[in-house]
Amino acid sequence: MNVLDERLNDAPKIREDQPGLRNVMNRVDAEITVEVDGLRREFDSKEGKVTALDGVNLQVRKGEIFGVLGPNGAGKTTMIRILSTLLLPTSGKAGVMGFDVEKEPEKIRAVINMASGAERAGYDFISARGNLWFFSQLYGIPSEEAHKRINELSDMLGLQNYLDRKFYALSTGYKQRVTLVRAFINDPKVVFLDEPTIGLDVMTALSIREYILKQAKEHGRTILIATHNMAEVDAICNRVAIIDKGKILACDTPAALKRSLGAPSLVLEVSPVPAPASLEPLGKLDGVKGYTSSVDEERGLSRIQVVVDSDGSAQSVIDSVRKSGMTVVSNWRQQATLEEVFVALVGRGFREREHEAA
Amino acid sequence: MSVLRSIVASVRVGWYREFNWTNPLLGFSMRTVGPLAGVIAASSVYFVGSSAARSFSPSQLAFILIGAALYTHVAAYSWVPTLAIAEGKWTYVFPQVFISPHSSLPYLTGRTLASFFSSTLTVIVSLVLSFFILSSVFNTSIPFTVTPLSVTLLFFAMLVNILAAFGLGLLLSAYALFATKFEWALPTYVAGLLMVFSEALFPVSFLPHPVSDVANVLPFTEFMRASRQAMIQGGDVYSYFSYIGLATLGGVILLAMGFLAFRYAENRARRLGVIDKKTA
Amino acid sequence: MKLHSNPWLRTAYARLWVRAKSIYGEPLWVAVNVGFPFFTSFSFTMVYRAYGLGAYAGFAILGGVMISFWGNVLWSMASQFNWDKQVGLFEIYISSPAPITAILVGMSLGGILGTAPSAAMVAILGWVIFAPPIHPFWPAVVLVFSLTLASLYAMGMALSSLYLAYGREADSVNEALHEPVSLISGVYFPSVGGISPFPFAVQAAASLVPLTIGMDALRQSLGFPIKVAFIPLYIEALILALMALILLLASSRALRFLENKGRRTGSIAVRQR
Ligand SMILES: Nc1ncnc2c1ncn2[C@@H]1O[C@H](COP(=O)(O)OP(=O)(O)OP(=O)(O)O)[C@@H](O)[C@H]1O
Ligand SMILES: [Mg+2]
Repeated sequence: MNVLDERLNDAPKIREDQPGLRNVMNRVDAEITVEVDGLRREFDSKEGKVTALDGVNLQVRKGEIFGVLGPNGAGKTTMIRILSTLLLPTSGKAGVMGFDVEKEPEKIRAVINMASGAERAGYDFISARGNLWFFSQLYGIPSEEAHKRINELSDMLGLQNYLDRKFYALSTGYKQRVTLVRAFINDPKVVFLDEPTIGLDVMTALSIREYILKQAKEHGRTILIATHNMAEVDAICNRVAIIDKGKILACDTPAALKRSLGAPSLVLEVSPVPAPASLEPLGKLDGVKGYTSSVDEERGLSRIQVVVDSDGSAQSVIDSVRKSGMTVVSNWRQQATLEEVFVALVGRGFREREHEAA
Repeated sequence: MSVLRSIVASVRVGWYREFNWTNPLLGFSMRTVGPLAGVIAASSVYFVGSSAARSFSPSQLAFILIGAALYTHVAAYSWVPTLAIAEGKWTYVFPQVFISPHSSLPYLTGRTLASFFSSTLTVIVSLVLSFFILSSVFNTSIPFTVTPLSVTLLFFAMLVNILAAFGLGLLLSAYALFATKFEWALPTYVAGLLMVFSEALFPVSFLPHPVSDVANVLPFTEFMRASRQAMIQGGDVYSYFSYIGLATLGGVILLAMGFLAFRYAENRARRLGVIDKKTA
Repeated sequence: MKLHSNPWLRTAYARLWVRAKSIYGEPLWVAVNVGFPFFTSFSFTMVYRAYGLGAYAGFAILGGVMISFWGNVLWSMASQFNWDKQVGLFEIYISSPAPITAILVGMSLGGILGTAPSAAMVAILGWVIFAPPIHPFWPAVVLVFSLTLASLYAMGMALSSLYLAYGREADSVNEALHEPVSLISGVYFPSVGGISPFPFAVQAAASLVPLTIGMDALRQSLGFPIKVAFIPLYIEALILALMALILLLASSRALRFLENKGRRTGSIAVRQR
C-alpha cells in the first residue's frame, strides 16, 4: 500500500524547533502503526446522505503524537470511531498495527484503547479504583499487575488521593483523569483520544498534555488526538492533519505548516463592528489567502485576522479597509498560528466554518 | 396569574413527557397493558383462592377489580413529582425550574396533573377491558353500576383524591429534593405500602389491630370506599358522600403535611447544596 | 503478550463484582429492595386468606421472591446495555477485547447475587408471618430454582439484545412487560395446570415464557397444594435447561449481529460529541 501523500514525505525528519520532543521517534522509516487509505464514511440522516469522511489518507508512526485538527463536524470523531473498531468504513481501508479494522477488529482491540473528553463513563457507586480495576479486567490483566498500573498512572495525573472516592463524587476534572488512566490501563500500542482536554481548566489541561507526552515518549505509544484546540496541537503534536468537511487539507509538523504561510499575518481592530457581509470583499483582494473575524464586545470593535502572502498585500488590505469607511483602531503583524494555517487553506476561520454548519 | 401560567406550561411539558411516542396508539397501549395485567392478576388471585374454597362471589370480584385499578392509578401519578425532580437533576431542568420566580411547586403541580389525566385514561381503559375479559374468562357477571351518575361520582372521587395523592407526592419529593440515593426506589416502596394499607385488595380490618386503625383513616382508603359505593351495585349515595368527606379531610391534611415537608426540604437541600446534584 | 490471560473469566468476574458491589456497598439497598415485592406478596397472601384459602399463601410468597428476580432481569439486564450506551460504557466494552457474553454472564451472576438477599428476606418474612404448608423435596427445589434463574437471566440477555436493536424506549418496554409477564407466568397464582383460571390456549402460550415453567416447577418441588400438576417435574426441569441454552445462544448470536450492524450504521455510540 502506498498511501504516503507528498506533503507527508516532505516533512522534516526531526523537529529542531521543539527540543522537548526531540527524543520522539519521528522518522519516515519508523514502524507505521496507523494507516488510512482512501477512507470514506457516509451516514444516512433525515436530510439525506452526510459524508463525514471523504477520501482520507494518513500514516502515523510508532511513538508519534498525531493531531487531527478541524472545526465541529469536520469528521474527527468519525475517524476515531472507525479506527477504534466502533464504526465501519463505507469504503477505503483503515488499519491499526497492521490489522484491518473491517476484517480483524478483535486483533486491533487487544492492542488499542480510546477515550473521549465528552465521556464520563464509570459506575457511580464504585470507587475510582474499582472502576479502573474493572476496566483492566476487560483486557484480562492480572489484578496485581492492574493495581500497579493504576497506581503508576494515577500518580502521574495527581489522582492517587481520589482513587477511593465513589465515581459519582468526583468532579469533572477528576472523572476525566480516571478516563485517561483507563485509556492507558492495558499498555496499549495505539491510543485514540477524542478532545481529551475539552471543558477542563488550563492547569488541568496542561497536566494532561504532559501525561500524554510522557506516554508517547517513554513507552513509544502512538497517540492520535482529535481536537479543535490549536494550542493543544502546537504544544504536543509531532504532526497534525488539518481536516475540514471530511477531507484532509494539509498534513505536516505544526512548525512547517506555520512556516509555509510565508509572511506574518495581519491583525486589524476596526470600529464600528462591521456586518459580516461587508467584510467579504476582503477575501477577494489580491494576496489575501483568507480571513477570520471576531467581535470584542467590551471594546465595541471587531478584530480581523487576515492571512496575507507578503508585506505589500498587508498594506493594501489596510488601505482597502480604510476606504470602505471603517476606522482602523489599530493594526499589527503577528507570527502565524495554526488557526491562520486553517484560514489560508479554507479561506475562513473555525468560527465561521462552525457557524455555517450550524 | 403567572403561577397559573407556569402550571399550565408544566401540564404541557408533563403531557409530552407522558406521551413522547412516535406512534401515540402504540404508546397508549404500552402504558395500558401494565395496569390491565395488574388488575387481572389481582382478580385471578382472588378467583383461584375463592374457587378452591368454594366461596367465589361476584361482588367480591368487583371489589378487587375496582381496588386494583384505582390502586395503579394512585401509584402511577403520586410518584411523578419525585420522578420530575430526580430526572430533572440529571437533565438540569430541575435546577432551572427551581430558581424560576415561582420556584418548583407550580411545575410539580403541573406535572402531577398531566400524569393524573393520562393515568386516568389508562385506568379507565384497563377497567373496561378487564371487566369484559374477566366476565368471560371467569364466566360470571360482575355487579358494576354503570350509569352517568355512578361514573360522574367515580370521577369526582378521583378528583378529590388528587389532594391526598399530591400530598403524598410532595412528601416523597421532599425527600427527593435533598436525597442523593434511594430517591428512585422510595416511591416504589411507598407504592407497596399503599397496596397493603389502602384497602386496595382486601378490607383493612384484616390487618392486625393498631395497624388497621391507621389504614382505616387514610384518605386513600376512604377514596377506595367511596369509589366502590359509586361503582358496585348496592352502594348508596349517603355513604359515598361520607367517604368523600373523610377523603377530603384526610387529603387536605396530607397535602398540608406534604407542603410543609417540601418547604422544609427546599431549605435543607439548599443548605446541603444538592438542588443541582446529579445522582444515580 | 503475557498480560492477556483468559479475558473471558476475568471479564465475567469483574462484571459480577461491579454489579454485586454496587448493591452490597450500600446495605440499605437490601431493605429498600425488599419493600415492593414483600408488600405485594403480603397483599396477595391476605387476599388468599381473606376470601378463601390460607393454604395458598405459599403461592404469593414464592411470587414475591421470584418477582424480585424478574424485576432485576428487566431493569438491570434487559435495559442495561441501553443505559451503558447512554453513559458511554457500551463503546468501551465493544472496543475492548472482552467477549460480550462474558459481560452478560457476569452481569447475570452479579444480579442474582445482588437480588438474593432481598429475595431471601421476602421468603423469610412471608414464612414467619404466614407459615404456609409446604412439603419440599430440597434437592429438586435447588435444581429447579437454579434452572429457573438460568433461563430467566438468559431471557434477560435475549431481551437486552432486542432492546439494543429497538433502542430508546427501553424503559417503557420494561414497564409494559413487567406486569403482563408476571400475570401470564403465574407469579402469584398457578397460571398453568389444574387450578389455573385460564383457558388452555392461554396456558399453552404462557408456557413459552421460561418463568411460567419455572414457577410451576418450583410449586411442584416445594410441595404446594396443587391438585393437578401441569407437566411432570423432571420434564419441566429439562425444558428449563433447554430454554436457558437456546436463549443464551440466541442472545450471543443476536449481539454479534447487532455489533456488526451497529458498526455499519454508526449506532454503537449515541451521538454525544
Ligand atoms: N451516527 C451518525 N449519523 C448521522 N450523521 C453523523 C453520525 N455521526 C456523525 N455524523 C455526521 O458526520 C459529520 C462529522 O461528524 P464528526 O462527529 O465526525 O465531526 P467532528 O469533527 O468530531 O466534530 P466535533 O468537533 O463537533 O466533535 C457531521 O456532519 C455529523 O453530523
Ligand atoms: Mg467530535
